Amino acid sequence: MKLLVCVKQVMESGSILQINDSKKWIDHLASNRFEMNKFDAYAVEEALLIKEQFPESRIDVITVGPDHAQDTLRRALGMGADEGIHLVDNHEGYRPSFLTATWIAAHARDKGYDLILTGIMSEDEMNGQTGPMLAEILSIPCCTGIIRETLSPVKKTVSVEREIEGGARDMFDIKLPCVLTLQTGINSPRYPALSKVLRAKKKELSVIDVSFLEKSKQTLTLKNIQHPEKTRKGILLNGTTEDKVDQLMDILSKKALLQ
Amino acid sequence: MEKKIAIIAEHGNGKVKPITYELYTMAKKIQELEPKKSEIYFFILGQDTEFLAQSISKNTGKNTHSMNIPGGAHYNGSLYKRVLSALFTREKFDTICAPHSTSGMDYAPALAVILKGACITGVEEVRQEEGDIGFVRSLFGQKVSATLMGEVCPLVMTLQPGSFKPHSFKSGSPDKKGKVTIENVVEYSEDKMVFTGTRPSASKGSNLDKADVIVSGGRGIEEEENYQYIEMLAALFPRSATGGSRPICDYGWVKYSKQVGMTGTMVSPKLYIACGISGATQHVEAIRDSKFIVAINTDPDAPIFRIADVCIIEDLIKFIPLFVETFKGRSK
Repeated sequence: MKLLVCVKQVMESGSILQINDSKKWIDHLASNRFEMNKFDAYAVEEALLIKEQFPESRIDVITVGPDHAQDTLRRALGMGADEGIHLVDNHEGYRPSFLTATWIAAHARDKGYDLILTGIMSEDEMNGQTGPMLAEILSIPCCTGIIRETLSPVKKTVSVEREIEGGARDMFDIKLPCVLTLQTGINSPRYPALSKVLRAKKKELSVIDVSFLEKSKQTLTLKNIQHPEKTRKGILLNGTTEDKVDQLMDILSKKALLQ
Repeated sequence: MEKKIAIIAEHGNGKVKPITYELYTMAKKIQELEPKKSEIYFFILGQDTEFLAQSISKNTGKNTHSMNIPGGAHYNGSLYKRVLSALFTREKFDTICAPHSTSGMDYAPALAVILKGACITGVEEVRQEEGDIGFVRSLFGQKVSATLMGEVCPLVMTLQPGSFKPHSFKSGSPDKKGKVTIENVVEYSEDKMVFTGTRPSASKGSNLDKADVIVSGGRGIEEEENYQYIEMLAALFPRSATGGSRPICDYGWVKYSKQVGMTGTMVSPKLYIACGISGATQHVEAIRDSKFIVAINTDPDAPIFRIADVCIIEDLIKFIPLFVETFKGRSK
């Protein structure tokens, strides 16, 4: 099996989200750190589990992003992926999924991947579009929100369960090659092993500047970003912890919710 | 030329889902903001959906097109993408509105690619933006909101459930009844992706839907052992149950049967207490119908505080034991 895993580097959760002067993106503060999009870690792990089952498999991991996005590729290599591909885009700001998908497709088109995995969405832009768009550009099937997959390399199919509203699961048999976007909880992503981390540090990555890839038209414009207005419909309790305990107890007693 | 807006209706168990009429409210707002005249059309896909199409057209007075797909009773992404792209290639629309549901999220991005259009997912609001229509959506776990505009036609968008009130039909039926057209889709056989069945939810059999009071824990409990605080608080209330947000189920700290969320159980208790839950849309949508919501969180900007009736900025690990102790002291 030849596998491609699409990962994204995002700001660590809890980072300070200071909107920049142009009101179009977040300031790059020195205190903010970056990490692998949590949703994508499930995709790396799932690929590793497939490789454990089918040891002749090869796992390529790809990312689109600035120079420091290489750290995320090295993290995936440290977890056990085989090769890293960095499509370098140093533009800072909102990057429409269509652009990301077009570039990844340009790399993937003639590589003969059997299965392409990615997270259900990114933590920063939260679009959930890159996987489905990538599949459509490559004219292969896509299934989103996968909570379980079973590969049949002989039949060249994958049986999947996708989570739907209320937690029920729809089951499908899909012909390979295809794209799957994975739901959280499908597995427990491992920590990189020290020996692999050392190897990953030295490993040469394939680095391609996106300006050499096919141009795609601009489909979207981001006008501005802002912090949402604080629309608190309820009341905020003030005072010490003890005061708040008393206030909450009074509120619940008055509403006869607590006797 | 008149602008055209398409709404793809969502249905299940023989009923039109409320998001369909939330989409209608949003589409009417687009009409108000749009300087050019525009018209709204409904589309419904599936098997034997004619009676649903009738009810949509009766309720809205809008033309409704029912696409009958034999064997298409269940959602199949591959099939939907083919049927919808053929439809919207034949008949051009400026805006195609779909629900931000597990199916809408699955087909909308691909549909935009096939139609060479733009795609905006998870829309929460529409607003006038320099003479054009801007679509507002969340980024960075709802800590930032962005206004986006499509630069190419059509724009395929998905609407976050709960963002608009479903259109109310209390004022009676519209003056005119819309036309219902039925199309039998026969030429599509799908072999790349075959639906093989549905497995019931893990939340079946949990007592979450019957409880008067639900206390739920989220990532803010920090460690599996700290779930005891959630149980400790719930124990104060009769007819109570404990729940959890998606992440703590993913971590394996509690069973998936306890998951409160769109992919778990939708709840509507008399009292819901969210402890250390930030308030991702997936969770908030599932608790929206609770009569009274109390939220305890250390982050003053947590989105959960936008819908809570009582907001408490505290660490649950400190707050809950003190609350329990004080309560027990009082009732002596």
